[in-house]
Amino acid sequence: MHMLPKGAVRAAALVLAAAITASPGQAHGVIGQRFFPATIATDDPFAADELAFPTVSWFDHETDVDFDYSKTILPGFAIEVGMGHVNAHEPGEPRARGFDNLKISPSVEVYRNPAHEFILTTGLEWSVGGIGSRSIAERSSTYTPTVKFGKGFGDLPDSLKYLRPLAVTGTVGYAIPGGGDEPKSIEWGGAIEYSLLYLQNNVRDEGLGRFVSHLTPIVEFAFSSPTRSGAGLTTGTINPGLIWSGQRLQLAAEAMIPLNRASGNGTGFIAQLHFYIDDLFPHSLGRPIFGGRQ
Amino acid sequence: MNLRVLACCALASVAAPLSAHAFLDHAKPAAGAVLHAPPENVMLLFSDGLDPESNVEVLDASGHSVAAGRLMISGNCIMAPLRPLGPGKYRVVWHAVSIDDHRTQGAYEFVIKP
Repeated sequence: MHMLPKGAVRAAALVLAAAITASPGQAHGVIGQRFFPATIATDDPFAADELAFPTVSWFDHETDVDFDYSKTILPGFAIEVGMGHVNAHEPGEPRARGFDNLKISPSVEVYRNPAHEFILTTGLEWSVGGIGSRSIAERSSTYTPTVKFGKGFGDLPDSLKYLRPLAVTGTVGYAIPGGGDEPKSIEWGGAIEYSLLYLQNNVRDEGLGRFVSHLTPIVEFAFSSPTRSGAGLTTGTINPGLIWSGQRLQLAAEAMIPLNRASGNGTGFIAQLHFYIDDLFPHSLGRPIFGGRQ
Repeated sequence: MNLRVLACCALASVAAPLSAHAFLDHAKPAAGAVLHAPPENVMLLFSDGLDPESNVEVLDASGHSVAAGRLMISGNCIMAPLRPLGPGKYRVVWHAVSIDDHRTQGAYEFVIKP
């Protein structure tokens, strides 16, 4: 039995309290006139009904295949469950393969401002220690209270109208290992994206055609910074790529460029197939369990 | 009533998927269009079937509606007939409610040159 540290208990209590008082939310990725596609290297700020399977990445002698399912419990409050399979083969070391720990991540949309295409979400990621394979997964749990946001720039003045399709998302979390001598760390990242759909429908119809207008060029970045001095450098990747968003699913592909030598060797690749469950099953699985849809 | 618009709406209704978010697929006049003749109506085509609660407003530069009659909503198409328009900038503001109650919204401008 793993005991939750006090900080994690407090964070969980905050998440639940926010869930009870949260304003109702809309379904996947829509705030005001903006549609945010789901990001693949970092968490986006929407509590939605969605399934990401598979997310496949090849980076630094490691191949990962991940599964993530998010279910809305109340409008604006969702719980995500995720698990991944890792196949690592460092040069000079024996191959290690198996499942990583289960991750359970409740998140709550605490503030929405449709006019300014802004959303703020809090959450907690619980990486459940001891569940995964011994050769891959940590034996102890890690708790990461997180704040996430999204902001579209549709409110820019006419003189900057070609920047209106721009949007950013961000996430900052404080990872607290539940046992051992693992250092705490700041897990942070985000995305800068340019929606061709927004350009086409809200700024100027450039005649891009159905397929191209559903593309979103994006650059994601996902970093980890140890908080203890001497615990190492900030590591992570910068991921330029493309997301194509359809009516019920999206496809995303990004390169993974290491931030520095400590982050890994060579450029990797990540791709994801993502299903919008609220659009696939609008009357059953795609609705919050309590409270209906707004 | 413009028969071509009606035919377009009918065809679009047949092609519409069962249910999902209604995103704007096509607009006439288009976003950012510069016209030399005033349009008789604004027609928006969505990616999903629309609930009658959906709406579109066309506003002149001072924010007054330039609608000339009732909206027509059919399948995934919504059409707003317009009064005879003079030169100027106009803003189209829409919100769409898909048949399974997903909500989306948007706005864009077009210009009529003298």
